[in-house]
Amino acid sequence: MNPMIDDETLDRQLREAAPYIDDEGFTARVMATLPAAQREPRWLRAMVLLGLAILGSGIAYVLSGGFIREGVIQLSNFPIWLLLVFAFGCGLVVGAFAVIFAIRKTPEVRDLTRLEF
Amino acid sequence: MELTDADLIARVLANDDQHAFGELVRRHQSSVRGLLRQLTRTDIALADDLAQETFLRAYKSIRSFRGEARFSTWLYRIAYNCFREDARKRKELVGVDEAQLQAEHDPQTVDPGLRHDLMHALNLLPLNERTAVVLCCQNGLSHDEAARVLDIPLGTVKTNILRGREKLKRTLAA
Repeated sequence: MNPMIDDETLDRQLREAAPYIDDEGFTARVMATLPAAQREPRWLRAMVLLGLAILGSGIAYVLSGGFIREGVIQLSNFPIWLLLVFAFGCGLVVGAFAVIFAIRKTPEVRDLTRLEF
Repeated sequence: MELTDADLIARVLANDDQHAFGELVRRHQSSVRGLLRQLTRTDIALADDLAQETFLRAYKSIRSFRGEARFSTWLYRIAYNCFREDARKRKELVGVDEAQLQAEHDPQTVDPGLRHDLMHALNLLPLNERTAVVLCCQNGLSHDEAARVLDIPLGTVKTNILRGREKLKRTLAA
């Protein structure tokens, strides 16, 4: 009867006993089973998004019953510095949303900041 | 400079780059096939079929990989699910077969006799203990990662490892 070994030795022996399995064509077999890459062209996606944005804006304008037109006329009477501040504020808001979205989509940054989303 | 798993995954996501996915398969095929061989009690043909299914599923659902765990952990989870579904179909979740070990890839660091004894002892463990021991002790997953792979409570993983280790030690000492 052999003496009982400790946990560390057992784990080491288990790791060393696990053989590296040679590929021997395995990757090629997997690649042969993958579905063909199907992806719509980027320009098509961009055109669809642009078209939807224009359509949505048009519908909103028609449904507003002149509200937007009056708003634009009023806005044009504002001093230029106020319009610049307004544009800058809009840019900040959109930029802030873009940064939040980018962090949510980037695991490295998320880990770095240790934020839970 | 060698690309990381995250770089390769990003390429697959951005451009549907199958070459990048191929590199991921090459990197992880050994550990995934090794895990499945342990789960199937060294039924190499079945293990390789399940490994192939694992990578196919991984490719199809790679957009659901959120990067919260290591890519290998995510693969192990898919592999374990593939194994469970197959075992359910075959109704072979219980039962003990004699290990049929392949000696041609023996690493030089371990005495072949000891390796045979280890693998034999490992194959005598119940499935839940064997899986936990293989994931944590052999493949280096943390208890938390193993709990996520197996979709069981952390305490159960710890218990399975404790029992598995004790049984392995007793078998090896006998």
